[in-house]
Amino acid sequence: MLLHRRIYQFFIIYCLGVSGLLILKYLISLSDYVIPSPSILWRTALDIFNPYFKGVMNTLIVAVVGQLISIILALLLGIAGRRATWFGSFIKAAAYNIQAYPIVAIAPIIFILLGDGILSRLLIAAMICYFPLLLSVIGIMSEPVSDVEHFYRVTGRLRWQLEVKIRAFENLGKITTVIAGSATLAMAGTIVAEFIVADAGIGYAIRIALFQSDLSKILVALFLIGITLSVYQGILEGAGFIIKKGWTKKEN
Amino acid sequence: MPFAVRNITAKFPGATRLIFEGLSFELSGPGFHSLFGPSGVGKTTLAKVITGDLPPLSGEIDSDGLSTFLYSYNLERLPDWSSTGNHLEKITPPGREELRKELIHIFGLEECVAKRFSLLSLGQQNRVNLLRYLLQDFDLLIMDESLGNVDEPTRGKIILHVKETFPESYFLYISHNVVEVARFCKEIVVLRGKDRKPQSKLIFGQNARQGIDPDPRKLERSMIEIVNASS
Repeated sequence: MLLHRRIYQFFIIYCLGVSGLLILKYLISLSDYVIPSPSILWRTALDIFNPYFKGVMNTLIVAVVGQLISIILALLLGIAGRRATWFGSFIKAAAYNIQAYPIVAIAPIIFILLGDGILSRLLIAAMICYFPLLLSVIGIMSEPVSDVEHFYRVTGRLRWQLEVKIRAFENLGKITTVIAGSATLAMAGTIVAEFIVADAGIGYAIRIALFQSDLSKILVALFLIGITLSVYQGILEGAGFIIKKGWTKKEN
Repeated sequence: MPFAVRNITAKFPGATRLIFEGLSFELSGPGFHSLFGPSGVGKTTLAKVITGDLPPLSGEIDSDGLSTFLYSYNLERLPDWSSTGNHLEKITPPGREELRKELIHIFGLEECVAKRFSLLSLGQQNRVNLLRYLLQDFDLLIMDESLGNVDEPTRGKIILHVKETFPESYFLYISHNVVEVARFCKEIVVLRGKDRKPQSKLIFGQNARQGIDPDPRKLERSMIEIVNASS
């Protein structure tokens, strides 16, 4: 249901964007070199579908792994930083300060140190989606669910595992939304990394298309990126829904 | 073994206005007592001062020999990842399984234990919540509208059973129901607000027990005294 909705929403937005370009093209009589005609667009799509699809899959794999690393790190640090202790405050302050610094700006340093291979792309993807995730997890984990926690606290049963379980359960919808949203960031981070310096992925393909001033290739790439991301986000949301359903139905 | 509140001055955290200034009262011994008063007079604040959740600016709680104070309130929830019965099993201290079964029966919750908390009615939720507190070790249990949304006959049945089962414990029942408080409570602390002297009045209730109904005239007198003290 969620997947289906995400895909048709993307189709609508993509069609609106392309239609807008075509209207502009025919209104002010732009050449096919500036904005390609629908037939050129279609032909390009058929020509480059296979290599571009492989490129998107390559990018998606890096983004998924990067996002996974981010989720694990954000959960670990978010759980550690949920308390109003010195360590908790330090983690929160550090996260707020570091996330204010644009990761893309330090991307060249990463490429200089690690080269243009998969590791640099992975690191940039992870860093770009990590801090928003961390802030959300800290926000969720540091907010007590008093109505549920009170009994366990006053009877001495509220261990950190139970506290985390209660807060995660009560905010599962928010966590799912944040993780699905961070997928966009991970994908964007990977593409940006590929766009700066890389030898693979759809960002690399877009860079080549840009040098060739070939808007049709870029539009095809955008279509493939959008549809892939919609499917991925839909799967993440669906997984969150299934987890919540399974969690609440386990014993009933 | 009396329980006494002595010269308590307190305010909400972060507020400038005092809720109590030198509030004092004394309960003669264990039993089912009440904190009564209009909304906003400070019943919940006092409950939190008594349990130690809110430190007073001055004054003390003289609770000689009492160590475990619990505060329950009617908005509490059980986690929804498991059935109510499963939660109750997990929080039952060893040796109190029979008490749990007995309370489930008295509270009329047999049909609820297989369900998740969110699927219960408000009255059932409040009964389940109170039940889990009664299974714990406590010397004093504050019941802040803990039987809200429970029908009157069931409330009466539960209160009478609690009084019979826990005769050595203190209960402080926070309720706005004058009849109920006058009928079932031993002593009623009527909170009147910081600007009134005295800030509280102690009224004797009819302390109804299983099989012993209070004299209607005495009950009426208690009710009038409570209303007069709080108005």
